[in-house]
Amino acid sequence: MKKKSSILAVLVLAAVLTAGIGKAWAYFTTFAEAAGGYTIELGDRTEITEKFDQWVKHVVITADEDSKEPVYIRARAFCGSAYTVEYSDASGKWTPGEKGYYYYSDILNAGGSTDELLVRIGNIPKDAKEGDSFHVVVVYESAPVRYQEDGTPYADWDEVLDSVRMEGGGES
Amino acid sequence: MRIWRPKKLLPPAATAVMFVAAMALLLFGSVEGTRAALTYYSETYASRVQMYDIGVSLLENGERVSWRDYNSSADGTWDENTGVLLAHMLEEGESLKLGKTYPEQLSVANSGTINQYVRVTIYKYWTDAEGTKLPNLSPELIRLNLVNLDTDWILDEEASTPERTVLYYNKLLYAEGEGVSETPLFADAITVDAMVATKVHQKVEESGGYTTITTTYDYDGTQFRIEAKVDAVQEHNAKDAVLSAWGKNVTVSNNMLSLD
Repeated sequence: MKKKSSILAVLVLAAVLTAGIGKAWAYFTTFAEAAGGYTIELGDRTEITEKFDQWVKHVVITADEDSKEPVYIRARAFCGSAYTVEYSDASGKWTPGEKGYYYYSDILNAGGSTDELLVRIGNIPKDAKEGDSFHVVVVYESAPVRYQEDGTPYADWDEVLDSVRMEGGGES
Repeated sequence: MRIWRPKKLLPPAATAVMFVAAMALLLFGSVEGTRAALTYYSETYASRVQMYDIGVSLLENGERVSWRDYNSSADGTWDENTGVLLAHMLEEGESLKLGKTYPEQLSVANSGTINQYVRVTIYKYWTDAEGTKLPNLSPELIRLNLVNLDTDWILDEEASTPERTVLYYNKLLYAEGEGVSETPLFADAITVDAMVATKVHQKVEESGGYTTITTTYDYDGTQFRIEAKVDAVQEHNAKDAVLSAWGKNVTVSNNMLSLD
């Protein structure tokens, strides 16, 4: 009887000693997580308005209200050799730059407009009369505002689109 | 008057049944050992439960944004919070500037009472307006600038992909008051590459002698997403614990962790 009791006592002691083994098979773990992000909005839409008065074109470019990206603007006039063009503006925000364009210094946000660029047509024939036609075309371009790493804005006029072309049907 | 007299001792069979019952209680009682260690005193054989609280926090720009801390003093509940990353990246009314680098300082803190080893898993991806992942758009255009690689954080190149980055902190992260309880940064800035604005599909249509080209921006209306998940595991038996919890073979020596 004593022997049995001793065995039982040893078993109980062993059970107590091994009770903590469970923690070696299951470990303390935890985790924490977070997520976030922002929506990208791309695309811009601008329009040009010209008024002609006294051989001067008054040029204004406007960004649509729903235009998603702010843009930079540049413009220039093309004409035949018979005429000359001369640029001016009251605000001083149009300045001549590369490729014969005049560059507007401010960023154009949705709904915004440039100040007037005045394109004066010169070398008009002395015998010109009302109804005569002439060809002076104003061309403008917009470039979405890009940013350097420090946040400084710039225009990339040579940005090349990485385009996937899809041919669509149509009539000729 | 009736006098109560003790009955005879239980027969051996009853003793055995009681013994088995006691053993069962003892064994099932140790299930709590997953979160508690049993200590005992030889003199009285009385047992006492000492609780270990594990907890970890994700810090963004020095602020605790998400955490999950075990709280033994509150009946074993978890004090937890899942925050939002990048919530303060833009000023109110400011729109995202492509190409600009924004501060995004991420680190980990031990918010428990035991030392631990930690790893971080970062996910970068794009979704549509409904939150559905867009696997065809490039995670590499979401540039999270990782820092302190090799000195403090180990990049698990085997487990990392363009979308997922796995980092292991190579030191023991101590509980507060025990040692260094906050890791150095593992990221310090985020930039959305301006290249996203050049990815377009163009549809060309001929009609009435005119050619109409319609350009659609691939990333317009999409959302870039960053996810950061921090995992922590106990210091003791760390090698086995890491293998069990994270499925990764590591070597732990002198409170330093390295990948096998």
